[in-house]
Amino acid sequence: MLYLQLLVNGIQTGALYALIAAGFSLIFGMTRIFHAAHGATFTIAGFVFYEFYAVLEWGLIPSVLACAAAAALFGVLLNRWVYVVIQRHEGSFFTVFAASFGAAIVVQNLIAIFFGKGMVTVSTPLSRSIELMPGLYIAPMAFIAVITAIICFALLHYLFTHTNMGVALRALGENPVLVDVFGLNPKSLGKYAFLIGSVLVVPAAILTAATSGLNPAMGHHVMMISIAATIVGGVGSLRGAAMAGLLFGLAENLSLAFFDPQWSEAVTFVILFLFIIFRPGGFYGRAIVS
Amino acid sequence: MLAYLQNIVVLFSINAILALTLNFIMGYAGIFSLAHAVFFGIGAYTAAFVALNYTDSLVLCMLAAMGLSAVISMALALPALRVRGEYFVAASLGLQMIGVTIFSEWKSVTGGLGGMVGIPSPVFLGYTFRSTTDFLILAGVILIGILVITSLLVRGSFGRSLMAIRDSESAAQAYGKSVNTVKTLSVAISAGLAALGGVLYAFYMSFVNVEVFTLDMSILLMAMVIIGGTGTLIGPVVGAAIVMALPAALTYLPFIPPGELGTIQQIIYGSAMVILMMYRPGGVVGARAKGKST
Repeated sequence: MLYLQLLVNGIQTGALYALIAAGFSLIFGMTRIFHAAHGATFTIAGFVFYEFYAVLEWGLIPSVLACAAAAALFGVLLNRWVYVVIQRHEGSFFTVFAASFGAAIVVQNLIAIFFGKGMVTVSTPLSRSIELMPGLYIAPMAFIAVITAIICFALLHYLFTHTNMGVALRALGENPVLVDVFGLNPKSLGKYAFLIGSVLVVPAAILTAATSGLNPAMGHHVMMISIAATIVGGVGSLRGAAMAGLLFGLAENLSLAFFDPQWSEAVTFVILFLFIIFRPGGFYGRAIVS
Repeated sequence: MLAYLQNIVVLFSINAILALTLNFIMGYAGIFSLAHAVFFGIGAYTAAFVALNYTDSLVLCMLAAMGLSAVISMALALPALRVRGEYFVAASLGLQMIGVTIFSEWKSVTGGLGGMVGIPSPVFLGYTFRSTTDFLILAGVILIGILVITSLLVRGSFGRSLMAIRDSESAAQAYGKSVNTVKTLSVAISAGLAALGGVLYAFYMSFVNVEVFTLDMSILLMAMVIIGGTGTLIGPVVGAAIVMALPAALTYLPFIPPGELGTIQQIIYGSAMVILMMYRPGGVVGARAKGKST
């Protein structure tokens, strides 16, 4: 029964990781910007939701909208005011990465000033666990998480295969110069990649706020999971990011059956490390040129 | 007051040693490691372990720490040979997280979260280092030593091979440089020298625990190198001085509540990283923006 319980927990965590990783993977795959501040977007979304829903009590829909607006605004403005400025004079990946990292540090500490360094949770009746079978506890939140993830991936799939913008975005990931030649503007397409990628953290942030709670430092963990899942899944592959997110959620929880909980993060990174050494292209990745 | 200043200077020297060694791989070899604090930790833990269990000889502790750190650095060299850029950053991030878990969980050797206490004072040629002044001199000597070693290495043929590999691996290979050897060696040298910083830290504090070897430390070191100027000789030292001076200077501002000091300090260096990257990616010391292709 322990394994089943861990499996269920793993799927729930994995669904959230998949959503988080998809946003990062999308931004990185399309624009080649190593958006380390993606974790910061997540923290912002979570705390804005907490502020509006639990503190100001605006109700669910307005809170979700406020949360989505905050995430989108942060992602798009960071791109516009920082990444675009940097890319104007130099495209080096590391310059962008360092700036992004700096922004993430600033956000984490600003949130710590406003909300304190402790944990906050949004409690809902849905986050209480129900005993489905003897020894198997599942919260309705778990189903909501999985269903939300499925809906989001279905929408993304539709967006990327059936709309002009989606096709243009995929083209941007393949060859930005050619996109320019065809008369589309890579810069403005990049803006949409940031918009979609940043909004994707919203469901995960809300569900995390309602299940395990938020703290200002969690952006680091989110960032690391997104980076790890993007690479293990294969850069630019949404399907890969989703699978890898799920894999990490399962690995983190199933490892609890064998190791102490302190080791669960190490398990994730051992997987990442092995992938980088033996299969740097990931599940579905293009072969990378080093 | 004098003791306070001496304390700051010793800690500054340790940070400068780490920043210098990080810059050696980051600035010259193009290996952007987020795992430097692990080698700092390996140095500190090895020194503490050897000093507590076997001998308090400074030289032996240093050799053990450097050797072990250089051997373990192969875990960093391995992905560095396979991938570059983003992929390597992710790999080093993974190594950092695994390192911290091992430091805090391998209780029989590292003492777990409680750390190791009561590390004896080191002995060098019959002289025991006890006072802050002793450590000040020791740290200064090691810092200058590492500065000289790195500047000699960088100016020599090894440094030119490194920079050639950083700028274009294929071109360097075409000119007959053994890319793998040079990269592996540079990582080993950097990790081995960083371990010296760890030895110094362990003996100076006579206490080590995992708190100072976390990702935060790696990021702080990276910030020092970036703020000072990657790929410049003196930049990391300047960066270390700036980052170290910040908390000390902030305590003199009356309107900042003491509880928020750490937070404000982090906000300042975070914004400094963003702004520098936007307008002066070469850092404070770096003269020009280098068009590196990765």
